[in-house]
Amino acid sequence: MKISNHPLYKTIIKDAWSYTTGAVLLALLNISMFAVGGSPWGITTAFSNWGSWVFRSLGGEPEKWAFYAANKGNFNALMETSFFTNTQSLQNIGIIFGALLATLFASQFKVKKIKSWRQVLAAVLGGLLMGYGARLSFGCNIGAFFSGIGSFSLHGWVFGIFLLLGAWIGSKLLVRFFMT
Amino acid sequence: MAEYKLDCFGEACPLPLVKTQKKMETMNVGDVIVVEIDHSCAMKNIPDWARAAGHNVDIEEINDGEWEVIIEKTK
Amino acid sequence: MESKKRPARKRRNQVPIALGLLLLIIIAGIMLAGVNSMLAIYWIFGISFGIVLQKSRFCFTASLRDPVLTGSTTLTRAVLIAFMVATVGFGAIQFKALLSGVAGVPGNIFPVGLHTAIGAIMFGIGMVIAGGCASGTLMRVGEGFMQQWIAIVFFVVGSVWAARDFGWWSVNVIMPTSISDGVTKGFHLPTAFGWGFAFFGQLIILAAIFLFADWYEKKKLNKVPLEN
Repeated sequence: MKISNHPLYKTIIKDAWSYTTGAVLLALLNISMFAVGGSPWGITTAFSNWGSWVFRSLGGEPEKWAFYAANKGNFNALMETSFFTNTQSLQNIGIIFGALLATLFASQFKVKKIKSWRQVLAAVLGGLLMGYGARLSFGCNIGAFFSGIGSFSLHGWVFGIFLLLGAWIGSKLLVRFFMT
Repeated sequence: MAEYKLDCFGEACPLPLVKTQKKMETMNVGDVIVVEIDHSCAMKNIPDWARAAGHNVDIEEINDGEWEVIIEKTK
Repeated sequence: MESKKRPARKRRNQVPIALGLLLLIIIAGIMLAGVNSMLAIYWIFGISFGIVLQKSRFCFTASLRDPVLTGSTTLTRAVLIAFMVATVGFGAIQFKALLSGVAGVPGNIFPVGLHTAIGAIMFGIGMVIAGGCASGTLMRVGEGFMQQWIAIVFFVVGSVWAARDFGWWSVNVIMPTSISDGVTKGFHLPTAFGWGFAFFGQLIILAAIFLFADWYEKKKLNKVPLEN
């Protein structure tokens, strides 16, 4: 029997898992990360560092910004200066490679090309809004929403409520301006 | 019994689903729509929605990471 | 249906490439472990998160967008399940830290105020327009989505832009409007309301939203045709 026809291959590697399976596994991974690393899952702080590393290499001085100067953890991460010595950066690169690995094992990888300038504009605006917003609210959908509510922090709940409002506004804008 | 084709290659959620819903509103009962997608999430949410709404659904993987979702309007 | 009779195009088997990538991932892990075991652990966590996100098509964006856009709450309910499991696990970790007498509560507890609302609305609009949140964007970068390759670059630009402005926000918005004091101190529900009340209260609220989401979807989907 060919491996590609094996029922286990089909359910685990080829087909999509249920959302509930994903939910439980993500929560268990987040709990494990909290237990092992001392703080729960987050993503976007590393994004700030990536940008600041580039800015620094171009001669800027991000270490003078309050974001770094007033926060020891952020400052230390900035000084690590490389993807390969910063745990959250490695984790983020890991997410990209993990997703790539899962797609390849299912033989479903394809480069999805851009079809219109609207998609480019959507990506630019959406990316900027997410990046800026995540810094203001101390986290993204993972650090502030998932891990924030998990940590019994009020900011997680407030973030969730206004995230829903933002998603509602975003949906209206999307259908109005970004649908080709 | 018309058959329609919807090209949603390269498009991310929720556009493929919203376009499918819009198109289906203009179709008659018994008509078929073939939605072409390469977004693995749309491969799940379009069939999920169509089944929940009571239509007949079939999914076919036509190439690496490309699918056709075939929906027959039933009501 | 005519489309079904068309001969399938020639397909490649991508499993050999996957095996090669797996080998590279393992080698990278071993090399990282040689530098510092924590680096390898976070690398493995990242890979695992990526696999789970991709296989389950988990999408936080859809969990908040679909209820308003399509009436579906399948992902909303999945996210609530994740939150309930996390609540139990995080609660245990925090409570253990409390018993062991460590100063301060571990976890993502940050100031809450006007900035939280502004940031969340910006993030909510951004994730719907760009077609993915932080985790979703990374996952789709790996899936080969070119739109997300652009999104992540500007996600980084936005992050560093806000980091530059953070001092202004701290002085003018975060400190004046936070209900908790200072720029780093947050509002921890169990500390304020007691452990039993906060822990079970949070689980009950999450469960109540779950039931509401279930009812909401049934109500929305029974309306045919859809109103979009």
